[in-house]
Amino acid sequence: MNVLKVPARTIAVFVLPCLLLYVCLVFIPILVSLYSALLDWNGISGANFIGLANFKTMLFDDPVFWPSVRRTLLYAVFSMAEIPICLMMAILLNRYVKRANTLVSIYFIPVILSVVIIGQLWKTIYNPASMGGMINGILNSLHLTSWTHSWITEPKIAMFCLYFVSLWQYFGYHLLIQFTGVQNIPSEIYEAAKIDGADGFKADRYITFPMVVPIFKISIVLAFIGSLQAFDLIMVMTGGGPANATETISTYMYNMSFLSMKYGYGSALATFLVVICLVFTVMINFVFKRIENKVS
Amino acid sequence: MKKIKKGIVFLLFAILIVTQIYPLFWLLLYSLKTNEEILGGSFFSFPAAPKWTNYKEAYEAGHYLQYLFNSVFVTGVTMLFVILLSSMTAYAIARFKWKYGQVVMTVFLLGMMIPLQATLLPLMFIFKNIPSVLGLDNFHFHFYFINIHFAWKIINTHLSLILPYIAFQTPIAVFILNGFMRSIPHEIEESAYMDGASVYRIFRSIIIPISVPPVMTVCILTFINIWNEYILAATFISSEKLKTLPFGVYSFVSQYSVNYGDIGAFLVLGALPVIVIYFLLSEKITKGMVAGAVKG
Amino acid sequence: MAKGKVLAVILASALALSLAACGSSNNSSTSNTSSTSSTESTPTSSSDKKVTITFQNIYPDSTTPSYKMLHQLVDQYEKEHPNITIDLDSLNTDQQKMKLKTQAASKEVPDITIVNPAAQMKPFVDAGLLAPLNDILDKDGLRDTYQKGLLDYYSFDNNVYALPDGNNIEVVYYNKELFQQAGITDTPKTFDELLQDVKTLKAKGITPIAIGEKDSWTGSFLFMNILLRTNNGPGFLQDVLDKKKTFNDPAFTEAVAKFQELVDAGAFEEGATSIDYNAGGNIFKTGKAAMYIMGTWEIGAIDSSPVAGKVGVFQFPTVNGKGDVNEYMLAPGSAFAVSANSDHLQETKDFLHFFASNLPKAEFDLKNAVGIGQKVDGDFKAAGYSDLAISALDLFKNVKGGDLAFDNTMNPATAQIHLSSIQNLFVQKVDPSQVAQEHQSAFEANNK
Repeated sequence: MNVLKVPARTIAVFVLPCLLLYVCLVFIPILVSLYSALLDWNGISGANFIGLANFKTMLFDDPVFWPSVRRTLLYAVFSMAEIPICLMMAILLNRYVKRANTLVSIYFIPVILSVVIIGQLWKTIYNPASMGGMINGILNSLHLTSWTHSWITEPKIAMFCLYFVSLWQYFGYHLLIQFTGVQNIPSEIYEAAKIDGADGFKADRYITFPMVVPIFKISIVLAFIGSLQAFDLIMVMTGGGPANATETISTYMYNMSFLSMKYGYGSALATFLVVICLVFTVMINFVFKRIENKVS
Repeated sequence: MKKIKKGIVFLLFAILIVTQIYPLFWLLLYSLKTNEEILGGSFFSFPAAPKWTNYKEAYEAGHYLQYLFNSVFVTGVTMLFVILLSSMTAYAIARFKWKYGQVVMTVFLLGMMIPLQATLLPLMFIFKNIPSVLGLDNFHFHFYFINIHFAWKIINTHLSLILPYIAFQTPIAVFILNGFMRSIPHEIEESAYMDGASVYRIFRSIIIPISVPPVMTVCILTFINIWNEYILAATFISSEKLKTLPFGVYSFVSQYSVNYGDIGAFLVLGALPVIVIYFLLSEKITKGMVAGAVKG
Repeated sequence: MAKGKVLAVILASALALSLAACGSSNNSSTSNTSSTSSTESTPTSSSDKKVTITFQNIYPDSTTPSYKMLHQLVDQYEKEHPNITIDLDSLNTDQQKMKLKTQAASKEVPDITIVNPAAQMKPFVDAGLLAPLNDILDKDGLRDTYQKGLLDYYSFDNNVYALPDGNNIEVVYYNKELFQQAGITDTPKTFDELLQDVKTLKAKGITPIAIGEKDSWTGSFLFMNILLRTNNGPGFLQDVLDKKKTFNDPAFTEAVAKFQELVDAGAFEEGATSIDYNAGGNIFKTGKAAMYIMGTWEIGAIDSSPVAGKVGVFQFPTVNGKGDVNEYMLAPGSAFAVSANSDHLQETKDFLHFFASNLPKAEFDLKNAVGIGQKVDGDFKAAGYSDLAISALDLFKNVKGGDLAFDNTMNPATAQIHLSSIQNLFVQKVDPSQVAQEHQSAFEANNK
């Protein structure tokens, strides 16, 4: 509830420095991008205003666009689906492990490592057996040669291999966030519930889940942002290839703006990202309002 | 029955330790191998003779200390300002009575999911022109014996990294802090307000101390996003003595050749301070976050 | 309210502090620019004014000869001209391309930068970002040191806008030992022989051809050899540009079909599309692949790799009896260009003149002079160049002409579609006529 009546000047002191910086360096560039989306421009010289032609091409004539959107959204779905699992793990950690903090810290390691490291590591895992790839090496030694794949270069499965790396890397991240939420619930509440006969998963159903909803929301939002911006990992591992098979909206945007030198078109893709972001923000607020109302 | 269940849970945790800590171990081996061992060797192989010279080369050729200092400086200043600015804004949105609170929040939310790459061109343009718009690009001041002259520029200074880093991190920081601050019971502030304390004082001595947990979360998020950032750094910084750590990694990757072992060694050197700091603080981070991240 | 002021003061001082810190950590560059502009206002001779020249380059690896050459020449120049500081911004190739494009949009091009020939540098020239270099070429006969015709790739409207660091051709490197192991006695002269050798090597468990197809230009560079043959000579892409031919031409579909035969025969290592250019080259250089089809700029690196001494070169074979083996894929190198908006254009040009005049000798001494863009005085054999280098130089003597890479001929948007279309052939079977149609539609959509 907003209760403090303060003079306008105070509001200005609190909000303006941050807002100004944000508006100048994030918001205005976004608006510039929206405008650039209406141009036929190579990013260097000679821009032509072409109205909505870029959007028309993007939505109706571009064979790469919709698959990229699908991959991006699927990325988001997988990333978000990981969070309930992290929550379960956090609950188990809290219940069974005495020095859980240390474990959580260890699980967090992949998050702080550079994508360059992660990319190189997983490449050596996914490589063909002839290049020392781990998975294929193991499959071969188990005489499951027919199961071997050239994991990140087969168009049909490459993207899923990338999803997996991302899930692995950010597992510790969401676990940490969920763990802090779970650990924060006062133990008295569980003790009281125990007297009422609620124990184990029953207690989770009625106590833990409702209590961690706000934290859960943070994780969901972070996961969604992470997947919309998924760029570095893909660039390091496949570069969006083979033949655009692992292209997401943001890698495709890079490809168009800087490699194909169709900056206007790249901006149209950026605009599309902004729209998805808007829709998602509205959606997530709506969903969580309902959940919060339901549980409290 | 319960024992078996517990056993399974512990097995699960143990497996996770192996999978999550493995990259560090792998990287360590990698950094001690020769190019041939890295490219030809199988996945689990140890280096025949640890090649410590990789570290010497990485340290010397990579400008390690210089880059490390720059990274620490840029990341540190950014974190300081992200926390200061976004907590003030979050508080204003959560508590002050004013018409535009929700509008400002929405504006911030919009920017949360914008990939950096989309704003590169506008940012370059803004940075190039801010000094001349302010009349500081070639500033002359002459008054009797006082003669001031300087040319201020943003591009190719640390400011060209710090400003956009702050601007890009504030939306998520405001989002998290605002969520937390809304859940602080307002009775505390109300009574302080009645007693005649100013908003600034309430903010400083009540709000900030109880907001330590989400501030920790924001710290971690900001750190992770900035420490390994390369695209902005490469675009806006040209002088050798201003470059940040990710440059070191890429500086080994040249046009026609690669020293994989050196890259590995540099990655170890780059990750080392982060891991050390993280483990020194990890207890505090998880404990700190515990204090009240969930709706109280 | 007093408390409020305290906070405001803290905030302001924190900001000031960080600004000061930012300023102090780069004060030398700031003071340089300021002193430059202050001396501009007072008429002093240009020779003693302090100048910082930013030199964006693609030689970040300190173990390479190019890096050594660059630093050696820069150090020498700084010593001879104490008022000049050269600020080297060394980036890897991809990053440099992206950075330059971002800078170009705001007309913030560094004093010296790197551009690629023909179609790739045209947008920069059209935007008026690059300064013509005719004057320094005419000074001390620098123009004549360049190989005949080379500068044409960097010329627009009779002005030369960049000075190339190389002039290479694409050859087939082969590992003599591995060929012997597989019982191959002679290098292939026709595409069918090449295919046969591929199969023989494959049967022996040796990767026939190494490639780093994650960087998709590598596959395209190889493919263009086949097109150069099936078209019975150079000029196919030019004919398409001139609307004399289309991609649906049999020469093109035949080249695609032949390329697919190579893929089907298992010519390339598994998972090639996830292996980058450097890693691909290293497969060959560590003796794990028998052939490597790449530019002559690789010779220096091969000579310092484990396979040094075991490697020979041959020309790309004829395809279905078509083509001339002395026509090559030509690779005029990346080139040094000067920003038209440079604050100290003359000093920059003077430096570049020095740099380009001394580059051949420096490269020669570093044993990196095979395929450089300028004529070199010196006996390669006597200077201790390898047999590989000498035999490559022999190939140079008989070059009859050839084609430029796809992305140096077509505009970037068309080139990108081409690159991913060729990359697709590595992982999927596609009907050649469909590949041709993809190219044709891309060409039409991007050349209106």
